[in-house]
Amino acid sequence: MGTVVVGAVLVGVVTLIVRSMVKDKKNGKSLQCGGDCSHCGGHCSH
Amino acid sequence: MSVKIALAGNPNCGKTTLFNALTGSNQFVGNWPGVTVEKKEGKLKGHKDVTIMDLPGIYSLSPYTLEEIVARNYLINERPDAIINIVDGTNIERNLYLSTQIMELGIPVVMAVNMMDLVEKAGDKIHTDKLSKLLGCEVVEISALKGTGIQKAAEKAISLAERKNEVTPVHEFDSKVEDAITAVGTMLGMDIPEAQKRFFAIKLLEKDDKIKEQMKLVPDVSNEIKALEDAFDDDTESIITNERYVYISSIIGKCVTKGRKGGMTVSDKIDRWVTNRWLALPIFAAVMFIVYYVSITTVGAFLTDWTNDVLFGEIIPPAVEKLLVAVNCADWLQGLILDGIVAGVGAVLGFVPQMLVLFIFLAFLEGCGYMARVAFIMDRIFRKFGLSGKSFIPMLIGSGCGVPGIMASRTIESDRDRKMTIMTTTFVPCGAKLPIIALIAGAFFNNAGWVAWSAYFVGVVAIICSGIILKKTKMFSGEPAPFVMELPAYHMPTVGNVLRSMWERGWSFIKKAGTIILLSTIVLWFLMSFGWVDGKFGMLEAEQLNDSILASIGNVIAPIFAPLGWTKAGEGWKMAVAAITGLIAKENVVATFGMLFGFAEVAEDGSEIWGNLAQVMTPIAAYGFLVFNLLCAPCFAAMGAIKREMNNAKWFWFAIGYQCGLAYVVSLCIYQFGILFTGGGFGLWTVVAVVLLIAFLYMLFRPYKESKSLKVA
Repeated sequence: MGTVVVGAVLVGVVTLIVRSMVKDKKNGKSLQCGGDCSHCGGHCSH
Repeated sequence: MSVKIALAGNPNCGKTTLFNALTGSNQFVGNWPGVTVEKKEGKLKGHKDVTIMDLPGIYSLSPYTLEEIVARNYLINERPDAIINIVDGTNIERNLYLSTQIMELGIPVVMAVNMMDLVEKAGDKIHTDKLSKLLGCEVVEISALKGTGIQKAAEKAISLAERKNEVTPVHEFDSKVEDAITAVGTMLGMDIPEAQKRFFAIKLLEKDDKIKEQMKLVPDVSNEIKALEDAFDDDTESIITNERYVYISSIIGKCVTKGRKGGMTVSDKIDRWVTNRWLALPIFAAVMFIVYYVSITTVGAFLTDWTNDVLFGEIIPPAVEKLLVAVNCADWLQGLILDGIVAGVGAVLGFVPQMLVLFIFLAFLEGCGYMARVAFIMDRIFRKFGLSGKSFIPMLIGSGCGVPGIMASRTIESDRDRKMTIMTTTFVPCGAKLPIIALIAGAFFNNAGWVAWSAYFVGVVAIICSGIILKKTKMFSGEPAPFVMELPAYHMPTVGNVLRSMWERGWSFIKKAGTIILLSTIVLWFLMSFGWVDGKFGMLEAEQLNDSILASIGNVIAPIFAPLGWTKAGEGWKMAVAAITGLIAKENVVATFGMLFGFAEVAEDGSEIWGNLAQVMTPIAAYGFLVFNLLCAPCFAAMGAIKREMNNAKWFWFAIGYQCGLAYVVSLCIYQFGILFTGGGFGLWTVVAVVLLIAFLYMLFRPYKESKSLKVA
């Protein structure tokens, strides 16, 4: 039971991370660029 | 009704500071020109229908560089409803040159004279009422940094935009020039709005080729140009520039009262030392040494040791393990969370304190104006090697993150110099490479300050050597682009700005650890926890790591790196895998080591955290590993930026190939000569290293192809 709960939490966390990364990408931001997004102005999506 | 207001002005006049103050944004502000290379949009605070557009800084509407084209095209084609023309009050004469051009666009203009606090401090006086009358537009005194007068400027701009009050230029040039402008204006087609005819006529007389691309019908104005050039015995661009300055001088005489004449300012006095021909470089080296010594060795090391040993050693892993055991979680899932996520992400987060200390220093140096001096100092050196000081600005920005650094190369006019800058910018260690530097310094060199300092030195030397070598090839030959840069006055950056800059950079690092690094650690854990033993695929025990899928992949790549010394104890594949995962994000190198060398387990025992790593590499190989990771291809995001900015697949692959090749050669030479001089013996790879060194020196010192010496200004 503990494994199922912890596993579900982990899957939930991973889903949220992937979702936020996809959302950021759609908004023209990229987490991958590694630094100061305010420098970037969102060109990563182009 | 929606209103669009553009912020236009010279570089480093405070546009982005004003933009942040008006919109509540957090755009990066640097006390040097060229920080903004793309237009940025935001909503005016309290006015959802008012859009503010921050444009890159420009000196005139005759663009030479890519970001200047961005600004001009926006003003001409998008036609904002109003323009707030920000003018640096401490340097009003030069700033008014752009203002006279903006007023010819036929768009309502409010002039915001910025840095009025500094003007008053210098004892000068700008009579804005007279200025307003002579320029024919509203003039407001502001201090973008302190937030004074900015609301008034925005309200005036909204009011003008709503009333659609066009600005009619009140300035007039010499009668012959005015006659030519009128004559050309009548030739323009219907595609040019009436209000813009003067602007287009002047640009045609100035022989501006780019403006012709914006016109459907381009009239032949060669007769008018010839008549003007014969009359003034000069080219038309110079004639009109001169006319503008004659007009500006007449305004300055009436509107500006100088409090102090000819005296040296505090900035001038500091610059006598800081930019001194002989002292500038030693001062710069000393400043950077102190910055990295304090960040990596003293305060930073103390905080990082605590984070690694206590927080991610004694507190978090045991607490997580206790929790997982209490809920009766399966061993494999415990392994994934403890040996994968906690070990990998924890290893990266352990370096956050050092990075935050470094970011505070860098933010201070940027904010006070010293970094702008560094570009000036570096220009003197770079120029000797065929690079322009302009190349140093992208490198400066690249010390935070390579992506904006690569993009900042747009400020360079010469395409060859721009490409060369793109190729070399990522040699300067970005923030993501800092954990690798700190890791190698801590694990192999007892946190010696020189490791971090030398990493930056290696970066700068790689740039200079690349500049020399590449300039001698046909692809990059030619004189370096001229570098004209205004040095901003020194000022004490606000605590808020320094902390904000530190937090922005630090937070993006933490966020990355919680997202892409975390996902990478999960994938890596699966790859290192499963494999084939005795022909059977299954989950492995901790001591069977060498049978994992990751080890199989690593062992394929490892022979390539064997000459670099990543082979001790037969665990070279771990170094190879770490270097490859670093392509996803450079922090992944540390995360991968954290997982492969049992960061969580070792920490639990309370023994030296990175001791396991030190067992499998000699310090010489470790330093070579560090240099390889500093110079080789950057992360995927930065590679994407290189691809976009190069806009050509061949150039992109050439850049990546050059970076990887150089990294390999330098790392090979470090290891091979290192072991040779420490009594490690002479072998085939030592011969290869000698041959490569000779080839490198030949390329460095061979004569220039086009001429015997590089002609520099």
